[in-house]
Amino acid sequence: MYKRTRFYDFTYYNFIGSWAWILHRLAGLALIFYLCLHIWVINSLTHGEAAFNNVMAFLNGVPFKLLETGLWGVILFHAFNGVRIVIIDFFKGSLVHKKLFIVLIAVAFILWALGSYLILQHVQWRAG
Amino acid sequence: MAMIDISVKILRYQPGKDEKPHWQVFNIAVEDESTILDVLNEIHWQHDGTLAYRRSCRSSICGSCAMKVNGRNVLACETPIHRFGRKLKIEPLSGFDIIKDLVVDLDPFFAKLKRIRPYLILDKPAPDKEFVQSPEQLEQIGESTLCILCAACSAACPSSWPNSEYLGPAALLKAYRFIFDSRDDGADQRIEIVNDKNGVWRCHTIFNCVEACPKKIKITEYLSRLKVKVVENSL
Ligand code: SF4
Ligand code: FES
Repeated sequence: MYKRTRFYDFTYYNFIGSWAWILHRLAGLALIFYLCLHIWVINSLTHGEAAFNNVMAFLNGVPFKLLETGLWGVILFHAFNGVRIVIIDFFKGSLVHKKLFIVLIAVAFILWALGSYLILQHVQWRAG
Repeated sequence: MAMIDISVKILRYQPGKDEKPHWQVFNIAVEDESTILDVLNEIHWQHDGTLAYRRSCRSSICGSCAMKVNGRNVLACETPIHRFGRKLKIEPLSGFDIIKDLVVDLDPFFAKLKRIRPYLILDKPAPDKEFVQSPEQLEQIGESTLCILCAACSAACPSSWPNSEYLGPAALLKAYRFIFDSRDDGADQRIEIVNDKNGVWRCHTIFNCVEACPKKIKITEYLSRLKVKVVENSL
């Protein structure tokens, strides 16, 4: 007998459901990472006003604003797919889970575009 | 009907001879309306008699011929090759140990099934004649009775791959089938078994099982109903 242990079968075909699950997990991990970063940034307050302002000036640069739009996207994906999972488990959503995914992610995408516009507009305003 | 040339890549493992599984390619000619099972038979009968695979009914009833073809779990006997084109990649079901070639060890699968007690449990004396069940009561268990225990669902489940303790979709579906059966009195015992981190709560609604099920059973929908039932029961 050949013993098989496997963390994940990467050769298995990914249907919408498994993509949703994989991305949901990755988004969750990314959010945990962000929260740690967030706490670390807020922690600079304990080093006085100047230290905090310094960090804030650094974070208001263009690269971080772009990262912020990414963060907004990750939050939206995690939240909207989370809603999808609740609908699946409690409101018969499993019968239409693919459509649910497409509709909810489309709404999330629109919100992402709007939010990103606001975030990036802010950058231009500061630069000008 | 016409003959076509196809290339079939099969994951081979011969116990006692091979240390680990390896790929072998067969270039053969088959009829274009062949099923995966026809292809395996052709190889077994005409090219390499040592190829091992399970099959019995060849009409999607016995559940013995589930395997992974081009990344998806299917029943070999009911799946036409044109679904995959002229290049086939055939492997044993993921997540199970390999006995020989495409034959996997299903003992853990059936052990899990036994854990949820897949038979009618009665507290009351059995009726003299048959149990009366209304169409509505039958509707409750619906398609969940159609399972042929092929293991395609459990072998497609990302929650099952890394965790051999997880009951898996097939056993949980069977639990649903009896818990929601109006004739059965064993719901509480079974709910206790499925209400576990390796029970129904490890279903993360990935839907690979539903995609894999040859009987098109809406497994995840039943498991969701099971989750609600477990929660209601503990209120
Ligand atoms: S639920 Fe479907 S895939 Fe799973 S064992 Fe039963 S018939 Fe096979
Ligand atoms: S041979 Fe019986 S299900 Fe395929």
